[in-house]
Amino acid sequence: MTLLEKINHVRDQFNTDLERISDLKSWEELKNTYLGRKGLVSKLFSRIGDVPPQDRKTIGQALNSLKNEIQNQVDSLHQTLQEKVDESHDVDYTLPGFPIFKGSRHPLTQAIDEMLSIFARLGFDIAYGPEVETDWYNFSSLNLPLNHPARDMQDTFYVDEGIMLRTHTSPVQTRYMTQHKPPVRIVAPGRVYRNEAISTRSYCMFHQIEGLYVDKNVTFADLRGTLELFCKMYFGPDARIKFRTSYFPFTEPSAEVDVSCFLCKGKGCRVCKNTGWLEILGCGMVDPNVFKAVGYDPEEVSGYAFGLGVDRSVMQKLDIPDIRMLFDNDVEFLKQF
Amino acid sequence: MKVDLNWLQDYVDIDRPLEEICNLLTEAGLECRIVESGPRVPEGVIVGEVISVENHPNADKLSVCFVNTGEKEPAQIVCGAPNVAAGQKVPVAMVGTSLTPDFTLKKAKIRGVTSNGMICAEDELGLSEDHSGIMVLDESCEIGKPLNNYLPKTVILDIDLTANRPDCMSHIGVAREVAALTGKSLKIPDITHQETGPDIHSLAQVVVLASDGCPRYTARVIRNVNIGPSPDWLKKRIEAIGLRPVNNVVDASNYVLHETGHPLHTFDYDKLAEHRIIVRYAEEGETFETLDHKERTLSRNVLLICDGKKPVAMAGVMGGLDSEISDNTVNVLIESAYFDPPTIRKGSKQQLLSTDSSKRFERGTDPNANCVYAQDRLASLILELAGGNCAKGMIDVYPKKIEPLPITMRFDRLKKITSLDISPETCRTIFESLDISVQSMDDQTINVLAPTFRPDLEREIDLIEEIVRIYGLNKIQANSRLQFSMSETVDPLNPFLNRIREIFVGFGFHEAISNSLVSQDMANAGIWGYAPVPLMNPLSIDMNYLRTDLIQPLLHNLKLNAARKRQHVRLFEIGRVMEKDPLSETTVREHQNLGVIMCSDMWDLHWLRSPAPADFFFGKGMLMRFLDNMGITDISLNNTDFHPDPYRIFMDITSGKIQIGKIGEYQPEFLNKYQLEYPVVILELKLDVIFELRKEVFKYKPVSPFPSMTRDISIVVDKNMESETLMKEIHQKGSKFLKDVVVYDQFMDDRKLTPGKKALSYRLWFQSDERTLEDQDVDRIMEKIFNILIRKYGAQLR
Repeated sequence: MTLLEKINHVRDQFNTDLERISDLKSWEELKNTYLGRKGLVSKLFSRIGDVPPQDRKTIGQALNSLKNEIQNQVDSLHQTLQEKVDESHDVDYTLPGFPIFKGSRHPLTQAIDEMLSIFARLGFDIAYGPEVETDWYNFSSLNLPLNHPARDMQDTFYVDEGIMLRTHTSPVQTRYMTQHKPPVRIVAPGRVYRNEAISTRSYCMFHQIEGLYVDKNVTFADLRGTLELFCKMYFGPDARIKFRTSYFPFTEPSAEVDVSCFLCKGKGCRVCKNTGWLEILGCGMVDPNVFKAVGYDPEEVSGYAFGLGVDRSVMQKLDIPDIRMLFDNDVEFLKQF
Repeated sequence: MKVDLNWLQDYVDIDRPLEEICNLLTEAGLECRIVESGPRVPEGVIVGEVISVENHPNADKLSVCFVNTGEKEPAQIVCGAPNVAAGQKVPVAMVGTSLTPDFTLKKAKIRGVTSNGMICAEDELGLSEDHSGIMVLDESCEIGKPLNNYLPKTVILDIDLTANRPDCMSHIGVAREVAALTGKSLKIPDITHQETGPDIHSLAQVVVLASDGCPRYTARVIRNVNIGPSPDWLKKRIEAIGLRPVNNVVDASNYVLHETGHPLHTFDYDKLAEHRIIVRYAEEGETFETLDHKERTLSRNVLLICDGKKPVAMAGVMGGLDSEISDNTVNVLIESAYFDPPTIRKGSKQQLLSTDSSKRFERGTDPNANCVYAQDRLASLILELAGGNCAKGMIDVYPKKIEPLPITMRFDRLKKITSLDISPETCRTIFESLDISVQSMDDQTINVLAPTFRPDLEREIDLIEEIVRIYGLNKIQANSRLQFSMSETVDPLNPFLNRIREIFVGFGFHEAISNSLVSQDMANAGIWGYAPVPLMNPLSIDMNYLRTDLIQPLLHNLKLNAARKRQHVRLFEIGRVMEKDPLSETTVREHQNLGVIMCSDMWDLHWLRSPAPADFFFGKGMLMRFLDNMGITDISLNNTDFHPDPYRIFMDITSGKIQIGKIGEYQPEFLNKYQLEYPVVILELKLDVIFELRKEVFKYKPVSPFPSMTRDISIVVDKNMESETLMKEIHQKGSKFLKDVVVYDQFMDDRKLTPGKKALSYRLWFQSDERTLEDQDVDRIMEKIFNILIRKYGAQLR
């Protein structure tokens, strides 16, 4: 390559490199690379001695014009970059920041999780069962034999003869007990299904958390203590509870539990329909027939069980007027939580 | 269950505020609400006072009245009633009042005289049939006030009864509870009926051929009754609990049902062929017309009451049309029976017919005292209301007496269950207040006979509940210090699911919960190709299957959001999908899955960056980041055989040889259909599998303190060459120093490249754990990489 060719090559190279310069730091590098004491242009000048004397003038002119060209370009680029830096001091910092997407957990799983973590503090493990259940687990093992009028309490979706969508999480009780020896201390969250007309207050699918504790010498007072603690932890330290006798075939004595309204603290308001109380769960002492069904000796052990409806309590707490909103999955709804 | 407070007080004295009674009943298991009911007249009917009455100038029978209605000027009203007189307080329907749905009172001229309203008779207000004259109100009624303020009110206790308490489906039953809870005694009306007729056995015969279904059948006959309307007191009580009065015999029968809780049936004696009652099961396919005018086809398990020739009633459920009491009935046969609860329940279920009667029989009535008491009570009421004479004696077919059940309760057991110290004496008092007779007692145990009207009392635990609910459930206080056995195991699943939730929330997704019940089309469209599970008794046709994947429900959600013009839909759901599996205990196999759907830009509209739709590669990136978080390696994506047409891209995700999910993107046509602005990216992962494969513990690996070096290469290869193949090759040849490779550019332009070629640019990071790498080290490796790419894949350097 002749020196002239080299001059042209350096010019091309410079023009390519120039394109890439976007800040003062890289400009500095560019300037040093070409115009520095040991830069490419100086190197070319240092080789002028190798050129035959008759060509030196032409080459010298070419070299000078390359140097000037580069010098001019470098200077003008410096000006442009400097202006850019100055401009950056004029940025409008009230412009909004980059929009990071919002994600959210469903209010139901938030509530279930909160409840489960409270029960975890109270020493309960989590257990699960299938959503499609056999008659034995969903009904018979729970002291609800065939043709029992109490089966009418729960309208059932059938999948097959004797196979149904579970109507409550209670079958997890008997599933767990058939596989474990006492003591047993579990909570079981999950979806349950009822064949009921869909309205603002009721849906064909909802969520329950089942609780079960079986051990020697478990009394109703233990049940009350556990539920009081749970309610204080979940609704706040001033929550109070009261029991109403009720009937569930799988517990006896059975009770419905009301908690003092979290909003009005029991004075009466719209949420509690002026009663001061909210119905939150059903519970009771495990019926001896349930123990017999799973092979426990009711003389040896006793226990309590409870079932908590999550959806209604979430609706009350978050002021959601229609249960169907929970299952529409409208993003404008979901992003609020 | 409606209980008329007035009526209830026939059986128990109530001297506490009603609220308190209501709370006591509720705490004891009879959830109770106070409802006031009674006749109501239309709004606009007010109290007026007649000031003057003058004869109508143009009509003899009409008069022109001036009535003070509380307005400044008295109203001029034309009235046709003979009894109207000055000084009377009367109901006035003002102009504008709708007396019936299609009659609204207007200002009118009656025979030339203006009338501004109407003075009403009882029938015009719907209060009675009386049209003899206008209704004259009590002196104390205030002028101008709504008439409704002065109409008699009935206080009803609306009780939500649990299925175990058929004994409380009656006024006496509820009164017994009130008595026990308030320390009063129960007052049962005495029966004083005269038996003046011939011996019953000469008049009728009862044959029970199905004594398992009908353990007891009693009958009485009353002859020469006068069927007619019931007296007012009876009508009022019948109406108060929401029934319609019919005639004295039918009303009396309903009255006794709601008084005693024991259902009775009255037959027209003369319509019973051979004056015989035969109790038997139906023949298969036998037909029978019930009172509700329905021809019913029966199966073998329906119990029938028949006469000498034909069925006359579905036992315990509903009577027949032929033998019902009519205005012409002269002689009445009263049935009071005890039917086997499951038998009645089966019959009522099979015929989808639930009545006041069947509801009680299927839950259990009393075969003993109450059965006979109800019989006698009705006989005496009919005699009182309809006259006639009662045959001597009662037919009573009761071959095998049902004895009250002896039950023993141990006091220490009571304490063990309830934690309460309740004295034996208190227990005795409670039992006796509930008519549970105490046979014997010592300081350990108490022996009782459970009355046969309480079928729910069978075991010791049932007695314990009785004690505690009357004693007061809320007297059980929480232990001040709880002691319990903590669970020794910790469930790993819920934390795993929560970890996934947090990751996707961090990606900017909203968690959805969709209905598990879907349409048949949705179930069949499932991406796994699972055999769908239909419901036998669905709520509706669009919810008659269980979902077989999460994508279909999420698409359903996307449509709803699209219809509402929501921008940026990013949803995920964790839930079960169902597959028919005959080998499973439940005939269904449940898979726990994660479903993800995305129809969104990569970021919201913003000044700094132009919008860019999130596409398959966004989904793929998210998938890889997620699997990396889960510590799952050796992942590959392959086109699947299962390729339903709406997908543009549809790939199986595997880790090693194990399938863990599917990922895809919908065809653009799909977007047109739903007017979506972005591609629809879907992802479904099998969490059961990922749970097994996941890594929870990430062990420390040494971090090199030496600087890394980067090298870029750009190569040109055939268009169909997969970049992943090249990437693997680069990794293989990259030696232990190659830490990472990224594809940072892909370029396809047939004008600038040889047609059929594409350019790929990779950036490689090299680093040693032991020293700072030299250029030569990396150059040597790069050369190896170039060589293999050129030799094996025909790549050219660019």
